[in-house]
Amino acid sequence: MNLALHAPILAIAVPLLGGFALPLWAKFGRPLRDLWLLLVSAATASLVGLVAFQVYTGGIQVYTLGAAWPTDTLAPGGFPIRIVLAVDALGALVGLIATLAALVGFAYAARYLAEEEGKTLALTLGTLLWAGMLGMAFTGDLFNLFVFFEVTSIAACGLIGYRTWTSRGPEAAFKTMVLYTVGGLFVLLAIALLYGEYGALNLAHLARLLRGSTVDRVTLALLLGGLLMKVGAVPVHMWAPDAYGEAPAQGVILLVANTQVSLYALFRILFTLYGGLADPGIGWLVVAMGTLTLLVASLMAVVQMDLGRLIAFGAVSQIGYMLLGVGVGLTVLASRPAYGLLALQGGIFHMLNDALAIGLLFLAVGAVEKAAGGRNLGALGGLGHDLKWTAAFFFLGALALAGIPPLNGFASKLMIYQGSFLLSPILSALAILASILLLAVFVRAFQGAFLGPRMLQPEPVPSSMLLAMGALALGVLVLGLFPDLVVRHVVAPAADALWTGREVYLRAVFGR
Amino acid sequence: MIGNVPFVVCMVLVLLGLAALLFRRNLIKVVIGLKIIENGVNLYLVATGYVQGGVVPIWTYAPPDAAMVLPTPQALTLTSIVIGLATTALMLAFAVVIHRHKGSLDGRKVVELSG
Amino acid sequence: MTLFTGYGFWNPLLWLAGAAGVTLLGLLFWSRGRRDYRRGEGELPFLSGESVPGAHVGGGHLYWGFVEGLRPYVERLRGAHTGLVNDYVGWLVVILAVVFLIVLVGG
Repeated sequence: MNLALHAPILAIAVPLLGGFALPLWAKFGRPLRDLWLLLVSAATASLVGLVAFQVYTGGIQVYTLGAAWPTDTLAPGGFPIRIVLAVDALGALVGLIATLAALVGFAYAARYLAEEEGKTLALTLGTLLWAGMLGMAFTGDLFNLFVFFEVTSIAACGLIGYRTWTSRGPEAAFKTMVLYTVGGLFVLLAIALLYGEYGALNLAHLARLLRGSTVDRVTLALLLGGLLMKVGAVPVHMWAPDAYGEAPAQGVILLVANTQVSLYALFRILFTLYGGLADPGIGWLVVAMGTLTLLVASLMAVVQMDLGRLIAFGAVSQIGYMLLGVGVGLTVLASRPAYGLLALQGGIFHMLNDALAIGLLFLAVGAVEKAAGGRNLGALGGLGHDLKWTAAFFFLGALALAGIPPLNGFASKLMIYQGSFLLSPILSALAILASILLLAVFVRAFQGAFLGPRMLQPEPVPSSMLLAMGALALGVLVLGLFPDLVVRHVVAPAADALWTGREVYLRAVFGR
Repeated sequence: MIGNVPFVVCMVLVLLGLAALLFRRNLIKVVIGLKIIENGVNLYLVATGYVQGGVVPIWTYAPPDAAMVLPTPQALTLTSIVIGLATTALMLAFAVVIHRHKGSLDGRKVVELSG
Repeated sequence: MTLFTGYGFWNPLLWLAGAAGVTLLGLLFWSRGRRDYRRGEGELPFLSGESVPGAHVGGGHLYWGFVEGLRPYVERLRGAHTGLVNDYVGWLVVILAVVFLIVLVGG
């Protein structure tokens, strides 16, 4: 079997089956379970790495399920009826983000979760969420997009609410699940409408068929509604602070990666499926939602007293920056000026930066909660005396998210500010205002929790948790110090996949 | 004209479900509203694949010149039903846990997370 | 090593060199100070209020004026976060209506 050729489907299948096998291994003993998780994680990470390497060096990788040869996308009649996986640079980047989040989350969970508190189930749900995210990132078929959307929804809500002995976790999970399901049903309705109209589900095939009829537009609206909810844009972000605030820390970092993957799905729909229609109204809608998101979420973060919920609103506001950057690119897609590409690159670079920095913050909050036994900002204080490393990591993540040079958030925000300034100066002014608010929020959180005289006697943070945070902190520093290399070699191909890559994508799937 | 009746019924079901989601405070009824939307969408999927006078799409037993209904929407609907089962079970489980903690299923009392 | 953004550029290493220069300047000033001072000797400079041992400006009090100034705007936003699942779905329907308006009428 040619591993390189089959890597995309194996990258989805291995964590899916491996995740379901995890509880079985746990029956035979916990060391066996941990060994199995290590094996599955290592295998999946190498497969995703292999796919990403092939995509970045050799272009879009297409895999057809049920065909005699993986690249036979067309059935004998010349019609693309088979299920297709198509990975381009953006999909590979998002897959890498999901993989990074999963690996760091598992390393953190080793000591963060207690055995009697459902550790096996949490690890299983995490692996399934990982598989669903990879599926969403790699699929080239609309119905499979819906299926993986629901796989991630179910796994994510399980992760949010599995701690049934708390009352807040299940509450957050119920609300999130209701919204995810309604959004998913809108997406399914859109897919049904498209199938009724064109009799096709293949994304590339549909992209060639769409002509901008009323049905196409209704479908676009339904898809947009469902996916904007899933990425957590204001005002349909309400589930996000609940979910991020209440899920255990190793799950939150996966949830954050899940929103990035949903953003990818949104961009894939807007740029590839509907890229031929090039309606600036949609671009302006995305820009407006992005600006609203970053403003409202950072304002809400100012008054929060719960450390987890405060960081959660910070995470929602970062989604606004990505929507703003990519929305600017979408608005000017017809004329393609240079600043559109700049904003697009900034938005995609920010996805990477956000996954690292907000993940670091959430892991630090989890460490604080475990060590100090609470996270009310009014009661915390002086933790920096004992939790030196956690304090340093929190500080680093906060500065990176607030966009303080020389950390990575500054580079991507600079690109977004410049790109949006050339579209409309008021946008970049509002974005900078939100950044200032966020800096105040994070300084307040850091001062309240870590500085001041010693008030509590926290337990030491286990070294595996520190190691997981350290990996993310290293990423923040490296991306901050070498932004040009990352943008040139990692982000630019991914941005080109949206900016000019539509025809390349369609040709890669059709083979002509 | 009469051929469009299934589609109209689907949309009515979706709107009914949405109304339940918007105006019913009981969490179980919210889940029921979701199921109604889902059934509307599933019905729509099946209806798109119907062919007038079509037979079951099983090649072996079909008469030689009969029209078949489309098999793909049926496969999609089956998948969607299974997914719906999983989501409904999960949501009802959460509703049970919420009831255990709060002693109530009134959505207005399940607002610990707000503001 | 420089990230060009079309109208400007960003080079973290250059920035770090500048930061190192400023730090060196600070160290230079510091080294010119009095060497015979020991911490805790003599009167502490008076800033304001009274000194309470173990006092901590908690997270709820820091930026108090800043937060109070923003409160009228934020309270309205907080009022929208009701926590009712029906309202969450309501916002989704509102957004869907806006998207429909833009897609069908604006396009």
